[in-house]
Amino acid sequence: MSVLEMSDGAVELGGRTVWRDASFQLEAGTITAVLGPNGSGKSTLLKVVLGLIPLSGGMLRVFGERPERGSRRVGYMAQSRVADTMSAMTGRDYVGLGFDGPRFGWGHDRTKREVVREALILTGTELFADRPLASLSGGQRQRIAMAHATVFQPGLLLLDEPLAALDIAAQSEIVELTSTVSERTGAAVVVVAHDLNPLSAIVDQVLWIARRQVRSGTVDDVVNEATLSDLYGHPIEIVVTPRGRRVIVGLEEEFAHPHPHGSDHSHENEHAHGHEAHLEGAHVHHTPGDPR
Amino acid sequence: MSLSQLLSTTFVQHAFYAVTAVALAAGAIGYFVVLRRQAFAAHAIGHVGFAGAAGAVWLGLSPIVGLLVFCLGAGILIGLGGASLDESDAVVGVTLTAALGLGVLFISLYSGYANATYSILFGQILGVTSSDVLLVTLLSAAVLFVLTLVYRPLLFISVDAQSAEARGLSARTMSLLFMGLLAVTTVVAIQIVGVLLVFSLLVAPASAAEVTTSRPLYAAGLSMGIALFSAWCGLLLGVWIGGPVSFWITALAATSYLVARLTGGLRTSPRQRSVA
Repeated sequence: MSVLEMSDGAVELGGRTVWRDASFQLEAGTITAVLGPNGSGKSTLLKVVLGLIPLSGGMLRVFGERPERGSRRVGYMAQSRVADTMSAMTGRDYVGLGFDGPRFGWGHDRTKREVVREALILTGTELFADRPLASLSGGQRQRIAMAHATVFQPGLLLLDEPLAALDIAAQSEIVELTSTVSERTGAAVVVVAHDLNPLSAIVDQVLWIARRQVRSGTVDDVVNEATLSDLYGHPIEIVVTPRGRRVIVGLEEEFAHPHPHGSDHSHENEHAHGHEAHLEGAHVHHTPGDPR
Repeated sequence: MSLSQLLSTTFVQHAFYAVTAVALAAGAIGYFVVLRRQAFAAHAIGHVGFAGAAGAVWLGLSPIVGLLVFCLGAGILIGLGGASLDESDAVVGVTLTAALGLGVLFISLYSGYANATYSILFGQILGVTSSDVLLVTLLSAAVLFVLTLVYRPLLFISVDAQSAEARGLSARTMSLLFMGLLAVTTVVAIQIVGVLLVFSLLVAPASAAEVTTSRPLYAAGLSMGIALFSAWCGLLLGVWIGGPVSFWITALAATSYLVARLTGGLRTSPRQRSVA
């Protein structure tokens, strides 16, 4: 049985179709990258799987059942967190909230300490888990957030832009961690990203969302000129560098609204930082010929 | 009268019990006000309370009735309208100005001596009666009791709203719940320090605690401790040296924040380190 199965899924928000005709499956132990322009509905897809937004059509089964909000079997790592800027919260505290944060009342679970410790070990964060989150590097915070999301060793792990705002070294650290977590826990992992290149070595499947459509398949199935040109409705060119990176030309949509979600002022600097990393490291959208 | 004689008088003892209850509740709730960046909402609820008190005085009721009705009403409005912390500013601002306008109207309608209104604005700690003490203690205890029950989910939704929602918590419900607690705390604190200085107990001790410790529970505890210290010493200084008690409480709370920032600033700023 697949971890997740969607057939002909469609979502409407405020009377507008976000995407439709989405059909794909996620298998245990695989990693799926979700790509596409800003506002195309990548985060919406995660919210649908979490049971926070209902499908307006089609069918979705998570572990063979309708998605259930608050399920421990689905781990979720949000894109930005207030906790990251806190000097009065340690990584261990934050991971602990993943364990019993949703629970009201006085009870204290004796297993908490051990479960949290296991999550810290799995993500290699024990050494800095007792330092304030605000004092950690971006990569260290993402590792802690990964521990938070995997505290119950979920069978399905959803990561919303885990590589955004990280420098190249931290990006590859998180990519490696994602692969390790998937291997050790057998989780099906979904990674929302802006750029396929840092992930290409670990990705088994790609979901590309654009113009209300969702294409799924292996990297070669989806990331080719014919499929993307069809998806975007205009010619897309892909140049593969000698080191195997893909430079994709023609995704103009991405230039029009680089950061429409940039209302969170505390992260402006990080965004700028992430952007730089983007230029250096390459990839999907910036090439010498591009109008920038 | 010597200090020991002063301290044994009934009105000082009443004041002592009242500030103790208020400081504990305000220090604890204040921690979440600071964490959730909702100082503006706390400020607004206090001022809305002023309109309620003025209205109650005009109708010949006890000011605390108006305070409770208006503060809880404002708390619900702000909680419902601004469940998403990013969008709450406009809701708070409109609620605040609408209520202040009403307050002005009520004061102009009331033709009597505005002493009651004055004490709502600036606090009247030394005029606390034994029934006030009972009410303040009960309300503070209720706030603290509920807070211990909702502490974890409230912390979770405050530091990572998206994950908390994914795990089944409702941002709107938690926002309403918190605003309710904040409203009751504000009503209680207004009795002691008044509308204009309600901030001193809600924001300054929690801000000082937040920059001093590295654990949420310690920070909440320290916030309560600083609030209690400010309230006790403020009362003592007011009785001993003179001057309004609410002035002393405010001055001490602000000073504790200043000291925390200055000593905290001596260490390397954590945020700078992470950027480097």
